[in-house]
Amino acid sequence: MKYLFNNKWKGISGWVFYVSIPIGIYLLFTDQFESLMRIKVFSLFFYDTIFITSQTENIIGSTGFRWIENGFLDEILTFIIIVSGIIHSFCKEKIEDELISKIRMDSLVMSLYINYGVLIFFNFFVYGLSYFYVMVFHLFTILILFNLIFRYKLNIHYKS
Amino acid sequence: MKNNIRMYRGKFNLTQEDLSHKLGVSRQTINSIENNKYFPSLELGLKLSRIFECKVDDIFSLE
Repeated sequence: MKYLFNNKWKGISGWVFYVSIPIGIYLLFTDQFESLMRIKVFSLFFYDTIFITSQTENIIGSTGFRWIENGFLDEILTFIIIVSGIIHSFCKEKIEDELISKIRMDSLVMSLYINYGVLIFFNFFVYGLSYFYVMVFHLFTILILFNLIFRYKLNIHYKS
Repeated sequence: MKNNIRMYRGKFNLTQEDLSHKLGVSRQTINSIENNKYFPSLELGLKLSRIFECKVDDIFSLE
């Protein structure tokens, strides 16, 4: 299979991936992302609202192409989790043969189905700001699901 | 699809490990092919026929 990374990256990327996920979850639920690493960043699009009453809102406006102050840790962690997750998921095995490629392909299809099945479920049963959290988790769940399914199937394969 | 790889391995006195080295695949892949859990590509089939000095049809057949 083309487009795979060298096997030597598998270990280190796996460590980074599985360590950064709990750190990200902890920081998300303790609401520390906005307070840590606050720096000026260039924003392509920024939409802000201010609530006057519970019923009405005054839209300050959507402004783009300007510098804003932002907690930058979530952006860095998102980058680390996605890059390490992709590298770990798509590293060659020591013996990368056609059956491994088939297992990888099957796992990818299965994880995609489960991922979007869960998203469709939450689409109908989770609303408001909670749905935002669902979307945030869905940035990473396909990588996590794929890794779990692929490693499980590989484990069965190697035991045969 | 069934295959006679196990029979040919015996004929050529090859273990699954030996055959996997010759084909550049893992031993588990040979095991999966022998047990009809995985059907190999045409390329692997042709390599097998070259190793066992026979036609692909002699190794693989439709049930």
